[in-house]
Amino acid sequence: MKNFFARRGSYDELDDSALVKLAKEDKQAFGELYSRYLKKIYSYVYHRTGNTHDAEDLTAKVFMRAFSHIGNYEDRGLPFQAWLYRIAHNIVANWHRDQGRRKIIALDDYVAHSLKSEAPDHLAEESEEQTQLMEAVRRLPEDRQQLLLLKFIEQMSNAEIGVIMGRTEGAIKSLYHRTLLALRDDLQLMSEARRLGGTEV
Amino acid sequence: MSSQSDMKAQDALDALTAGLQARENVEDLIAESRTSSAGLEEFVEIIQALHNACALVEPDPEFSDRLRADLLGEQHGMVKRVRQMPARVHIAAALALIAGCLLFMMRRLFGSDAPEQIQEEAIATPL
Repeated sequence: MKNFFARRGSYDELDDSALVKLAKEDKQAFGELYSRYLKKIYSYVYHRTGNTHDAEDLTAKVFMRAFSHIGNYEDRGLPFQAWLYRIAHNIVANWHRDQGRRKIIALDDYVAHSLKSEAPDHLAEESEEQTQLMEAVRRLPEDRQQLLLLKFIEQMSNAEIGVIMGRTEGAIKSLYHRTLLALRDDLQLMSEARRLGGTEV
Repeated sequence: MSSQSDMKAQDALDALTAGLQARENVEDLIAESRTSSAGLEEFVEIIQALHNACALVEPDPEFSDRLRADLLGEQHGMVKRVRQMPARVHIAAALALIAGCLLFMMRRLFGSDAPEQIQEEAIATPL
């Protein structure tokens, strides 16, 4: 009993790889990994889907899959975090395929999200410009969305993003450049369309 | 294959992004981007907007508790809350339960015929 509590108390001092080894047999160790990554994975999925309901559903799937496959996971140059993001990416990609469309925030979801009290202030006060930006991000191809979210939510380096996406650091740098160019063009196009729409009325 | 100017632009964008994320002096970065030949000025606003928009989102605590419970096979909701209460609350609840049971038993054993007795007394009493 004493050992059990001693081990529980020290979970937060262990690094990911030590926790993963324990988590293959010890549910509580997986619980610590869950605590460490829930917010990050949820944020990633939330920004990819644009609504709370799907974000919760898909986040649950990510952790369920991670939990059921952790016995087979081995750190062969792919850290646990990268493995988890790969699972998240695959699940979101499948969801987009099932939806058969690029996800644009439904009005109900947008209103629900804006009213949601748990949402942080900066999101509740999200300006129209930010909403348009995120919609433009969701119109990008999946790999570009993934890159932007890992860079800006996680503030990962190009090398870290490269590990998750299975590309070289140079390829990520180049993709980032092309992504920003595409985003700029999309935003300009949208802005022009709104301006023309406004003058026509 | 990237040209020299592309690579220069990629490096400059990378540095600009890192600088903005590290909250370095934005004015300096913008001035630097103006003077650089990479033409990064137009990206400053987009990168800043991305930095502001792509924030960590807090999941609903009820959702995180429920998912943790589902994953780890823990109790959640009312049962979890009861289990997390201090020991003195558990002891007080147990004592109250024992006292309640004793009271019930005593009433059953010693006071079960009380209503009939009252009825009999009422019938026996002349008007």
